[in-house]
Amino acid sequence: MDKFGKVLRVNLTTGTIGIESLCEKTMKEFIGGRGYATKVLYDEVPAGTDPLSPQNKLIFANGPLTGKGAPSAGRYMVVTKSPLTGCIASSNSGGFWGAELARAGWFMVILEGKAPKPTYLWINDDKVELRNADAVWGKDSHASTDALLDDVGDSKAKVTCIGPAGERLSKLAAIMNDKNRAAGRSGVGAVMGSKNLKAVVVKGSARPYVENQDEMKAVLAGAMEKLKTNPVTSQGLPTYGTAVLVNIINQLGGYPKNNWQGAYFPEADTQSGETLAKDFLTKRYSCFGCPIGCGRVTRVGDREGEGPEYETIFAFGVCCGVERLEPIIEANYLCNEYGLDTISAGVTIAAAMELYEKGFIRKEELEGGPELRFGNEEAITYWTKKMGLVEGLGRKLAEGSYRLCEMYGHPEFSMTVKKQEMPAYDGRAIQGIGLNYATSNRGGCHVRGYTISPEVLGLPEKLDPVDISTKPTWVMIFQNLTAAIDASGMCLFTSFALGADDYAAFLKAATGLDFDGAAVLQAGDRIWNIERMFNLREGLDPTNADTLPDRLLKEPIPDGPSKGMVSRLPEMLPEYYKARGWDVKGLPTDTKLRELALK
Amino acid sequence: MIKVLFFATIRDYTREKETVAEGSGTVGDLLLELSDRYGGEFRDEAFDGDTISDRVIVLVNGRHIAHTGGGETRLSEGDTVAVFPIIGGG
Repeated sequence: MDKFGKVLRVNLTTGTIGIESLCEKTMKEFIGGRGYATKVLYDEVPAGTDPLSPQNKLIFANGPLTGKGAPSAGRYMVVTKSPLTGCIASSNSGGFWGAELARAGWFMVILEGKAPKPTYLWINDDKVELRNADAVWGKDSHASTDALLDDVGDSKAKVTCIGPAGERLSKLAAIMNDKNRAAGRSGVGAVMGSKNLKAVVVKGSARPYVENQDEMKAVLAGAMEKLKTNPVTSQGLPTYGTAVLVNIINQLGGYPKNNWQGAYFPEADTQSGETLAKDFLTKRYSCFGCPIGCGRVTRVGDREGEGPEYETIFAFGVCCGVERLEPIIEANYLCNEYGLDTISAGVTIAAAMELYEKGFIRKEELEGGPELRFGNEEAITYWTKKMGLVEGLGRKLAEGSYRLCEMYGHPEFSMTVKKQEMPAYDGRAIQGIGLNYATSNRGGCHVRGYTISPEVLGLPEKLDPVDISTKPTWVMIFQNLTAAIDASGMCLFTSFALGADDYAAFLKAATGLDFDGAAVLQAGDRIWNIERMFNLREGLDPTNADTLPDRLLKEPIPDGPSKGMVSRLPEMLPEYYKARGWDVKGLPTDTKLRELALK
Repeated sequence: MIKVLFFATIRDYTREKETVAEGSGTVGDLLLELSDRYGGEFRDEAFDGDTISDRVIVLVNGRHIAHTGGGETRLSEGDTVAVFPIIGGG
């Protein structure tokens, strides 16, 4: 199995570096990336481990397709126990770092312990060493990347690193690779910071191994044809980026405004993908081997950077009541530099705005900073900086929305699931995505099971967003397929054009293992269930955890096209448990676990 | 009157973001009226023959017409119709 890459295990406490082989059985059952790494975490990190202690492990994991001939297959995952949620964290990122790791001959890097002082890991093909990072500790992700490339003396090496937010253990800290790509969610950057690990720099020189090159070329030809003729992957995403969603989600009345106190924003077109493309876009950005190119390179004033994605526009824009793109883009740049998750950062500021407007955060606490009022452009950039530096009131913000609101005695203002901030779709207006948020293993997240595709965009079928009858099954299927795609190393966005059989064909060509569409979906199911088991072992109580904020369950949307709607989660959840083969309490049954060879 | 909004690449055909139309009949009638106004490119995008194409998403007051009767969806005074191409994101 070493031809598919080896496992690098580094104990940061002792400086010990070990090399292990991949297990074929685990690859067949869990594919790689999110799946394989979660299996390792489940087996090696005992229940009750403090996420920010040396006993937690931080795993960087490629999929079997990362860096190979499949389209948009440059993805890697960061898997660990989350300091934000206490549950599984599995954050996905693109760019070029994962592909470079594959070129260096590594499939996965397991980091244990805690370095005695700021350290970075330098992987140069099979030469691996821990190096002093004193010179870059405290620097932002961009300055750190430049300095580390100088330090290794190879400008073509790839860097994944943390910024000040991760160093200072913000629970919203991301891990940033290639400067602007983020393994963003669940506070994975804080785990890296807790280990005194500033960065992993990698350079590879080999062509990643593919078991059957001819088969790979044939599968690629078919997939490229689908991607080139699909209107989403060939036109919508390249032209407008993910921000193309602003207008349609708003027109449907599902665009959460002012910390989810509304769901319709009359000014939405001002911050849409169309406006972004017209006024700010300088060029597109494509990750490794990607024919789609949804990334946005933008310019505001004399600053050029990457972003914003749709989620970022929502978080710093409508969710904070901010209309214009300039401050939203600026806040995005700051998140990239400080190493913050844009969704959680923006939604946390929105919660702070509600706390302030309702009189719970006092003006003196702002220490002269801009008032936390909805619509205040200055506030979103100023408080993002404070959050990124974890100073002043930013220290409280850096804990995330849930802990912030709890500190002030009003957790009901926190728009989170399992303490992680919800993304840009209102689960009252779009019922399936609400169920997906409530059941997501990593807390509030849209890309665990992106039912927006059928519920709003009509792909692959047109589902009525307000109907709940088939949503439990759809959510489960989307969650399983997504887990498998994340495990493969391909980008989720390819799924607008490709299906389980396509991913299976790529995996079979790359590994020689006998994957088919059913096996891929079952692997996704297995990944979902082992994540669930991890969470349950950590003490997750489904009664309290598989839910949505009361605002979505009890407060009808006040205006706009979805006026009057609330989430019907209580009706959907039992059906979802049943579809998953879980008992009425949401626990996987023995039968289900045996079916998945998890017991 | 009916308020009609255009988004993304649909604006390439209409050269404007919004308009108003009489549109007292069905969505299909409205799109035919708009095809006359904006020409062949708009019509080619909006229709496959006499049927509204799968290349457009049409919302009436926020509801996809797939769930309200398709092209036969009746329009009323004051309705808002939004026309999108097939798009996606995440």
